Amino acid sequence: MGMLEFFPEWLQYHGAALAVVLPLLMGAICAILPSERLAWITTLIVVSICTVTAFGLLLVTFGGESVIYKMGGWDPPKGISYVIDGLNTPVIFLISAMALLTTLYGLPSVVAEVEPKKRAPFYGAFLIGVAGLLGMVVTGDAFNVFVFLEVSSISTYVLVAMGASRDRRALAAAYRYLILGSIGATFFVIGLGFLYMETGTLNMADIGRKLQELEGGSRVAMVAFGFITVGLGLKLAMFPLHMWLPGAYAHAPSFVTVFLASTATKAALYLMLRFSFTVFDVSFDYVLTVVTYLFTGLGCAAMVLGSLQAIFQTDARRTLAYSSVAQVGYMLLGVGMATSLGLTAGYVHLLNHAVIKGALFFALGAFWYRYGITRTEDFAGLGKMMPWTMGAFTLGGLSLIGVPLTAGFISKLQLAEAALQRGWGWAVFVIMATSILAIIYIGRLILTAYFQAPPEIDGEVVKRNEAPLMMLIPMWILVALSITIGVNSDFVVQAGQMAAEVLGGIS
Amino acid sequence: MTPHVILRVVSKLLIPLIAMFAFYVQFHGDYGPGGGFQAGVILAAAVILYALIFGLDEAKKAIPPSWVRIGMTLGVLLYGGTGVVTWLLGSEFLSYGVLTPDHPSHGQHYGILAVELGVLLAVASVMLAIFYAFGSRQPELSDEDW
Amino acid sequence: MVPTILLDVGLMAMLVVVAFAIVRLKSLFAIVMLQGVYSLVSAAWFVSLDAVDVAFTEAAVGAGVSTVLMLAAMLLADRESRPVPISRQIGPLIIVMVAGFAMFAAIGDMPAFGDPHSPANQYVGMNYIDQTAEEIHIPNVVTAVLASYRGYDTFGEAVVIFAAGLGVLLLLGLNGNAGKWRAQPNGIRISSASAPAARKRPMPEDAPKPPSKPKSTPKRKSSPKTTRKSTGGKS
Repeated sequence: MGMLEFFPEWLQYHGAALAVVLPLLMGAICAILPSERLAWITTLIVVSICTVTAFGLLLVTFGGESVIYKMGGWDPPKGISYVIDGLNTPVIFLISAMALLTTLYGLPSVVAEVEPKKRAPFYGAFLIGVAGLLGMVVTGDAFNVFVFLEVSSISTYVLVAMGASRDRRALAAAYRYLILGSIGATFFVIGLGFLYMETGTLNMADIGRKLQELEGGSRVAMVAFGFITVGLGLKLAMFPLHMWLPGAYAHAPSFVTVFLASTATKAALYLMLRFSFTVFDVSFDYVLTVVTYLFTGLGCAAMVLGSLQAIFQTDARRTLAYSSVAQVGYMLLGVGMATSLGLTAGYVHLLNHAVIKGALFFALGAFWYRYGITRTEDFAGLGKMMPWTMGAFTLGGLSLIGVPLTAGFISKLQLAEAALQRGWGWAVFVIMATSILAIIYIGRLILTAYFQAPPEIDGEVVKRNEAPLMMLIPMWILVALSITIGVNSDFVVQAGQMAAEVLGGIS
Repeated sequence: MTPHVILRVVSKLLIPLIAMFAFYVQFHGDYGPGGGFQAGVILAAAVILYALIFGLDEAKKAIPPSWVRIGMTLGVLLYGGTGVVTWLLGSEFLSYGVLTPDHPSHGQHYGILAVELGVLLAVASVMLAIFYAFGSRQPELSDEDW
Repeated sequence: MVPTILLDVGLMAMLVVVAFAIVRLKSLFAIVMLQGVYSLVSAAWFVSLDAVDVAFTEAAVGAGVSTVLMLAAMLLADRESRPVPISRQIGPLIIVMVAGFAMFAAIGDMPAFGDPHSPANQYVGMNYIDQTAEEIHIPNVVTAVLASYRGYDTFGEAVVIFAAGLGVLLLLGLNGNAGKWRAQPNGIRISSASAPAARKRPMPEDAPKPPSKPKSTPKRKSSPKTTRKSTGGKS
């Protein structure tokens, strides 16, 4: 990896902390900046630095190394440490790169959807949310996870509620998210309390070691695992705990929906992996039971019921939101196999889905931006009215279905392979069945857009009005990425294998 | 709100004492229970008491909302800035020891003072901000309202 | 030893009673006050558990400021809570019961109360107590852990509080003048049913200009709005 030479030595070690602290501090500054333009530029610079840093860290771990950063100079069990390894760098890069793309997209989008004098604090809240997600993923300390979970959650509630200037229902959706998110965080922290009672330490690697010594620990550790699973399950919208998600995605400003849909649940899923496989371990009976039966069962339920619900939505954003619930199911199915292949597949889908859903929500935001459209029946004629945006939506949709030569196909192929290797033929059937459901809910939108005539207003056919370039660029970057992955999936699969190696799993 | 003479007199006596107590809690945090969180809340309580007795507008004259807004940011920046300084001195984020390389424990002491001050500022400002935001939304209450 | 246990049990019993009262009452004013009582009683209990720092925070934040803030919020909303139909209470009840039973199930394996050999009292916690005097030179170990050993967590907490304040500013505005601005698509609105501010579509001002330059967008966008929004200036 010759590219690593471009990254200064300092960044390779301190980069982990920089990627979190910089957006935190600049978020605080953004909140009092007098000009929205200045705030946007600040945000852009900060997330660019984060992306470059994250890329550097990615290269470091691709080189097979891992870094432990000692916050405050204290050695791990005593102080907080940041851990950079093969499991989290792809997610760190995903979050910062998505933040960068959404910021670009935000220039037109935020102007249309957020009150002028609130735009600077809005970007401040966004930066804090980015930092919160990065902090959750990069940390190696269990309690620090909770702190940054709160940082990201609180700013996310606010960002979702900002959709109120578009639709008052955003307030109710944000409130629902707030209540459920707080319950999730409470469950998580209760679990941590039990874990501390059992092991006397908060460092994740240390807890893992202690639990190995105790061979899984007593009932206290089991209860801790239960609480942590439920708490994180709420955050990642695991099937029956997904009630907050459709409302939040449907009513948040487009800018926020894109970022949420492609990162928030992914960061929570990463934590679930981290806790289930490295802090706890599948060699403990109770963990294996939960992973095999609960994750797989709920994952399949989410795939089927989420896709079914997606079909019956009248709001396109809700359709995609329920589809997200279903897609989380695919990831959980992969994780539930607990084999190296299954974990790779789940992880690959985590990355692919972020790319696909990002592109789709980018396109939906552009539809609203030009025509105020979110309902499925209003899609009529969009293929003529916004050809480029609709083209991106179509390619993204095909990828979501899993058509060959797209990222979605790679995910499903990997999943199916892993299922067959595990001897779970039925899982392949479920994957096929839900792909058909995906064809229905995505196909419906695409058909309406291409085969129905544009509406007429005052006797005149609505004219073509393409989305601004600042929206098209990030959208098409993701679409291109999705197709690139479909053609050559090596680097994504390599990232998945790297993660699976850290996770271990059953052999 | 003129009738509450006793409340006004008593609170005039109490408010400076509450503020003083907040600073005692702040700077005594190294030796006994206390620290930035508690002190910030107590300091905010002093202003809130003033607002309850003398009216929100008077309180906003004493501590303008724009100060509160900047105070929130300054608090976070003071905390984070301490970490950035330790970065610039070539050590890890928030490792206060490098502030005084000869006596790391002194540096720890200074660092703790600085970050606790940041917490005080952030907490007090946020509490006031929330109170101002809620308070400004409603008309003055008359006594019968209760 | 025995008298403090009696004290603990007594305070916990009070907590349970207050909690039930909070759940059962309808008057929001009484509920807010009882929440203050709850915090005060738990502060007393923390003192009896020798966690004075926590007790102090609980008393200052829980019983002090948050009661005032809850009252201020209540004044904006309602004075009475509406009863929740029994059918909607069953789900939460089951969740609470399951969570409670799970915790009870673990009791048998928990270390005894105050056990000096429990992991929590042995490992990292002991390190802090041993090394604070030498490494940080301040007598209060809690402050040392809070601000130095785990100072980064405290930084995160400060940001959490900041984010909460920022959220209130974004939603309410410091002077209570937020929330009247309406988002508008930057083109022709086709769908109107889902929009609360449904009115006649505005001028098709910028019709055929496919990739409009983003630079000019903000000005064009915000100008028609300025008339609608309430008094300018910063919040």
